[in-house]
Amino acid sequence: MFIALRDLSYAKGRFILMGLVVALVAFLTALLSGLASGLIKNNISGLIELNVTHLAFEYNNKPSYRNSMIDRSMWEGWRAVDGVIAAEPLGHIMFNARKMDDDPLDDVVLWGIEPGSFLEPEILAGEGLGRLENGVIISELLVERGLKIGDHFILDRVQTELEVVGVTAEYNIGHVPIVYTPLRKWQEAAYGPPGGPPPGEKLPDVLYDYASIIALQLDPDIDPAVIAQADIDQGTLTVDKQSAYEASSGYREEIMTVRLIQGFLIIISAVVIGAFFTVWTIQRTREIGLVKALGASNGYLLRDAMGQVLILMVGGTLVGTLVSLWVGKRFADAGSSFLLDLGTIFASSCLLVLAGLVGSALSVRLITRVDPIIALGRER
Amino acid sequence: MSLEIRNVTLELGDGDQKVKALDNVSAVVKTGELTAVVGPSGAGKSSLLAVCGGLRTPTSGTVLIDGQSIVDLSPAELTRVRRDSIGFVFQQSNLVPALTAIDQLLLLVHIKGHKPGKADRERAQALLHEVGMDQRANRRPDQLSGGERQRVGIARALMGEPKLMLVDEPTSMLDHNRGRAIVELLAARCRDHHVATLMVTHDAGMLEAANSVLHISDGRLVQER
Repeated sequence: MFIALRDLSYAKGRFILMGLVVALVAFLTALLSGLASGLIKNNISGLIELNVTHLAFEYNNKPSYRNSMIDRSMWEGWRAVDGVIAAEPLGHIMFNARKMDDDPLDDVVLWGIEPGSFLEPEILAGEGLGRLENGVIISELLVERGLKIGDHFILDRVQTELEVVGVTAEYNIGHVPIVYTPLRKWQEAAYGPPGGPPPGEKLPDVLYDYASIIALQLDPDIDPAVIAQADIDQGTLTVDKQSAYEASSGYREEIMTVRLIQGFLIIISAVVIGAFFTVWTIQRTREIGLVKALGASNGYLLRDAMGQVLILMVGGTLVGTLVSLWVGKRFADAGSSFLLDLGTIFASSCLLVLAGLVGSALSVRLITRVDPIIALGRER
Repeated sequence: MSLEIRNVTLELGDGDQKVKALDNVSAVVKTGELTAVVGPSGAGKSSLLAVCGGLRTPTSGTVLIDGQSIVDLSPAELTRVRRDSIGFVFQQSNLVPALTAIDQLLLLVHIKGHKPGKADRERAQALLHEVGMDQRANRRPDQLSGGERQRVGIARALMGEPKLMLVDEPTSMLDHNRGRAIVELLAARCRDHHVATLMVTHDAGMLEAANSVLHISDGRLVQER
C-alpha cells in the first residue's frame, strides 16, 4: 500500500468526505441493528425469558399462541416421554384491562402458569404466585402505566378482578405486557362465564383441564424422532424456542422490515463506494499507466487500491458504529427499543465493509485495462 | 551493447487507416552512451520508445536488451523487463502526485516486492544528491519546478539500476538553459552508471552532449551522426 497510504494523506479532503459517507451508512446500519435487537426484545422478551427448550402447540399448520388449545392428557402424555425433563401447561390469552377507577391499562397478555413452576418469572418486587387465588405478577411496563403492588384491576369482557402481588422485569409478547396469573384463575378467565360462576355455584372441573400450549424442557440429546412420535401421540406441534419466537404476532414482519432497510443500506453503500472508486480510478488513469510503465503489475496495483478501500471502509465503519453505539445508548437510556447487541452490530459492520470491498472491486478492476503506453502521453 | 533495434516496423490502425509509425528501423545504443533521436512531431519518436520499452509490440523486427529479445514476451514478462531492466524518464508531469521526491524513487523498490529499507533510502538520497535534488527530497511534484521534476525523474529511472534508460522529450517544458543542463546531466549519469540511454527529442539544439544522434522522419531513420 505504498501509494495508497500516501494518496490518503495527499487527497485527504476527498477521502475524509467519502469516509464520512461510509461513517453515515455505518451509523444507520448499526443503529438499525440495535433497533432490530430492541424490537426483538420488546416483542418476545417474555418468550426469551422462558426457561424452556421447546414449546408444544395444538397440532395445526403453523404454531399460534392465540389459536392453540391443549388438554391435560396432552401435557401429562408429554411428561411420560423419555427425554422430557419437565412439561408444564401455559395459558395465553389477551385482554383489555382497566384499573378500578376505570382508567384504561390497554392490552395485557394473561399467561396462566402453575405457581412455583419453572415458568414463574424472577420477582423484582413483591411476592410470587400462590398465596392469593387472584394474585398476579405484572410486567414492569404495567408499573409505568400506573399499577403497583396491592392494586386491583379488571379484565374487560370477563370482569375478572386481579390483584398485583409481584412485579417482574419488562416481559412482553407481541409488544404487549404479560400478566403472570395462577393457572386456575387463568382457566376461569379464559373459559368461564363473565364475572365468574353464579353465586353458590362452582365451575365444572373439566374447565381446569385446558390451557394453550405446553412448555417443555427436553434433554439436549433427545432424538428428534422421539419428539415427532410424541407429537403424533399427543396431537401437538412442537417447535424449538427460536422457532417459537416467530409465532409471536408481528415478530417476523418487524424483523423483515428492519432487515430490508439494512439490506438496502448495504446495497446503497456498495453502490456509492463503487461509484466513488470508479471516478477515483478514472481520475488516476494516467498515474496508473505511469506506474505500470515503471514495471508495476496489475496485481500490485489492485492490492494497493483494495488496501485503500479497506482502510476507508474500516475507518468509516468504525467511526459510524462507535457514534451509533453512543447514540443508541442514549436511546436505550431514554426508554427506546434499542439493544446494544455487540455481536449483531459487529456482524452488520463487517457486512458493510464487505459490501464496500465488493462494490469497489468492480470499479478498481478498471486498473487492469489501463494501457501503460499512456505514460508516454502520445504516440503517432 | 545494451539496446539493439533490428529492422523494426510498427503499423498502427486498421484497413485504410493503417499507418507505418516505424518503417524498418535499425539502431544500436551502447552501454554508457546517450543516443538522441531527433525529429519533428509525429515522426515516430514516441513509437520507437514504446517499442523499445515493451509498451508496443512491433509488427516485424526485433528489439534486444542486453542480447535478449523482448518482442515475443508475454505482457507479464514485459512488465518484469520494464521493472528490472529499463528506466523511463517521462515528460515533466509524469511523477506520481501523492509521492515526495524520495518516495518516487523508493516506489521502484516497492514495485519489486521489497519494503524499502535503510540502504534503499540512502541510495535514493545519494541519487537525488547526484541530480542536485537532495535538499528537496521531501517535496511533492506540485512543490517542484519543471526542471526539478525532470531531475527527480532521472534519479527515479536510475534507482532501479537499469541496463537501458528511455528518455521521452526531457526538455519539452523547459527553457533552453535548463533543458541543456538536463541533457548534460542525463549524459553524465548514463556514463557514470553504465546505462545505455535512448532519448527522443524534437529540440535539435540539445544534442551536444549526446554520443550519437539519429534523425527520424515519417517512421524512417534518415541520417546518423
